[in-house]
Amino acid sequence: MAPARPTIRFLLGDAPDDLHRPRHRRYGQRRGASSWPVLVVIATLVILGLLIASLVERPSSPVANQTGASSAEQSLMIYCAASNREVMEAVRADYEQDFGIPVQVQYGASQTLLASLEVSKSGDLYLPADDSFLGRARERDLIDDDFALADMKAVVAVPKGNPKQIAKLDDLLRDKIRVAQGSSEATAIGKVTKAALEATGKWEALEQHTAVFKTTVNEVANDVKLGAVDAGIVYGPVLHDYDTLEGLSISELASIQSRVAVALLKSSTRPQAAVRFARYLSAQDKGLVRYREFGFDPVEGDPWSEQPELTLYAGSMLRPAIEETITEFERREGVKVTRVYNGCGILVAQMKAGEVPDAYFACDVEFMNQVQDIFPSPESVSQNELVILVEKGNPHGIKSLKDLSHPGLRVGIGHEKQCAMGWITQRTFTESGLQTELMKNVVVQTPTGDMLVNQMRSGSLDAAVAYLSNAAGAAEFLDAIRIQGIPCSVATQPYGVAAGSNHRQLAERLLRAIRTQSSKEKFTSEGFRWLEGQRSADE
Amino acid sequence: MSDVETGVPPESPPASTIGTAESKRTNRAKRAHRAGSDLPFLALMGALGGGYLLLILALLAADIAYTSPAHFVAALSKPEIRFAVRLTLISCTISALLSIWVATPLGYLLSRFQFRGRWLIDTALDVPVVLPPLVIGLSLLILFHLPIAGGKLDDWFQQTLGFRVTFRQPAVILAQFAVACAFAVQTMRVTFDQIDPRAEQVALTLGCRRSQAFLQVVLPQAWRGLIAAFTIAWARSLGEFGPILVFAGATRMRTEVLSTTVFLELSVGRLEAAVAVSLMMVMAAMAVLGIVRLLGARVN
Repeated sequence: MAPARPTIRFLLGDAPDDLHRPRHRRYGQRRGASSWPVLVVIATLVILGLLIASLVERPSSPVANQTGASSAEQSLMIYCAASNREVMEAVRADYEQDFGIPVQVQYGASQTLLASLEVSKSGDLYLPADDSFLGRARERDLIDDDFALADMKAVVAVPKGNPKQIAKLDDLLRDKIRVAQGSSEATAIGKVTKAALEATGKWEALEQHTAVFKTTVNEVANDVKLGAVDAGIVYGPVLHDYDTLEGLSISELASIQSRVAVALLKSSTRPQAAVRFARYLSAQDKGLVRYREFGFDPVEGDPWSEQPELTLYAGSMLRPAIEETITEFERREGVKVTRVYNGCGILVAQMKAGEVPDAYFACDVEFMNQVQDIFPSPESVSQNELVILVEKGNPHGIKSLKDLSHPGLRVGIGHEKQCAMGWITQRTFTESGLQTELMKNVVVQTPTGDMLVNQMRSGSLDAAVAYLSNAAGAAEFLDAIRIQGIPCSVATQPYGVAAGSNHRQLAERLLRAIRTQSSKEKFTSEGFRWLEGQRSADE
Repeated sequence: MSDVETGVPPESPPASTIGTAESKRTNRAKRAHRAGSDLPFLALMGALGGGYLLLILALLAADIAYTSPAHFVAALSKPEIRFAVRLTLISCTISALLSIWVATPLGYLLSRFQFRGRWLIDTALDVPVVLPPLVIGLSLLILFHLPIAGGKLDDWFQQTLGFRVTFRQPAVILAQFAVACAFAVQTMRVTFDQIDPRAEQVALTLGCRRSQAFLQVVLPQAWRGLIAAFTIAWARSLGEFGPILVFAGATRMRTEVLSTTVFLELSVGRLEAAVAVSLMMVMAAMAVLGIVRLLGARVN
């Protein structure tokens, strides 16, 4: 009985009109509109509509407007670590001013960004706080190539003036000093600090003494700023925005540093534009100026150039293996690569005469050694094997080098001065102890192996000593016979970047393009043996 | 939740029972020691409750002390922050309104109808409340990019409706809505639970259709619950940050809302700016929620 009372009262009190409604329920109800709940319902819909409409006109936002039409779709999308935001905003403003091309940047924690780009498979560039994230991205096949930008060194952040007199690592372990660090799982700084200090046996003591581990390096700096801790281990550039803090370089942390690099995402729908921005960002006279300004140690970048031109000298034998990769590289990077293919001896002579390319892909280490002063740290990419090429079916029954000395055979070899192949052939002949006998039958010495193959096919030679790769294109007409037991019959192809080149980064990237899986497949199908990445001195 | 409790009509039976119990006690109290006996009790209650109020005020005071008017002006003068303020207000209101639109029917149905498997729905509705917000963002992202029947939801939106969701403004609203709505549903459900179905049944016997009974009888009684659900949804949306970061990103002038601004400022160590923006959020929230509550009280 009791529960009904308040409701009836409510009806009477609040809506006297309604009291009569139920009696003639069919009439007056529909268009009445006098009942306010219906009004409220309609009102919320109207408000909702208006609000959504106000957002819809939004896409032409102020930034996009500066540069005009349909920019939202054309603009680049960059995932950038929040710690790089200041410098990125500066470079972005420069870029938009220089070229009028809008750049959208999404900031966040490196790991979060990695997760979202992995799921969404969209965006053009990824710039994490530390290149270890690029390793992870590469493992998941998300990125194409990367552009090194700068290094960050570890420092101890303390309030300005260093009130606690911290000078060495042991000072951090003092009783009254509270220390904050980045988590060694979640943050790059934590990871590298732990690795470095573990090596010197100091980690455990510091770990014990650390008051708090934070999930980002900025949180560590924030703790120092707020006075929650006395010191924190952070990257130097992080402190750029903290007026009240200073970074102490202490010897135990001197070896700790991380590399910042920006990577081209495989999901990019406009890789050319993306690479162009990445080149701008990594140009020594553009983006890297900003990086230096914001306290980073920038790498030695290429100078900015709208469409850089790269000159590559390469042994002719490499042409079929690299040509396609280079064309693809040109398209992606928006650059022009001038290729000069020739016998390596000729190329070396040209270089000695003063014509120095940006990069040199030699047929053999020997021909790289001759110009070592120009290319200080070459990397070996592939190997090639010297073989005896004979007509299909081997009508002369040639089984070894010795058989080539049969009287009457017409043998072709490479020119010993003009190409690596010829040089190696001579060495092989000498090692076999048959040089004079073999040379009697040599009727032609050519500067490239391709010429030998052509002469074989035209029937003017019975046999030729050339690279296995030379025969790859003519497998229908020729057989290859392995030269047994002479190790120097194998040539190794190194790639070097000229020390004095203006496009060193670009040339390095070309090397990385040559080192990719798809390039590897071309090399092996052309008869080369692939050498897995062996970075020499430079890294 | 206090708003929900006040959603009960003033003269509801439990209140009157308490009233009689109290009067009995006061009678007895009168005999023992006449006055002031309630004072220690009320003081304790006041101290316990006031402690929390004090904490909130102290937090605000600390924030205000840490920043300065100059930081406010600096923050407000930036176009991207003004954009974030605008987007925040609009997106929160949209997601709160959408939440009400979904939570009212859902709360009503769950409150009025018993059916098998209802516990399952209840549990499902708790998911957004218990799940870490970051996971909701990630789940949304996955949902929109999962190849379903040869296409992706995000592409479908682009082709059919002409706009993308992921990393755009709809994503902000959806991320806010996904979390806020769960809270609104809970509020609405408690509201309808506390409204006596008797009146509605009476209306039905008097010849109302269910829709009429709902609009004419139930909804007016649920008014304060609606206001409460709206405010909770709005406030949740305002504070929402994890899912937005993952699903909508923090792109300047596009999907940056105030909560992500705070994160961004904090992540480059500009604590003063972060605090200034936070205080701006507090003021915006107080203004909007104050207006809504006032409006609610007036209509009631």
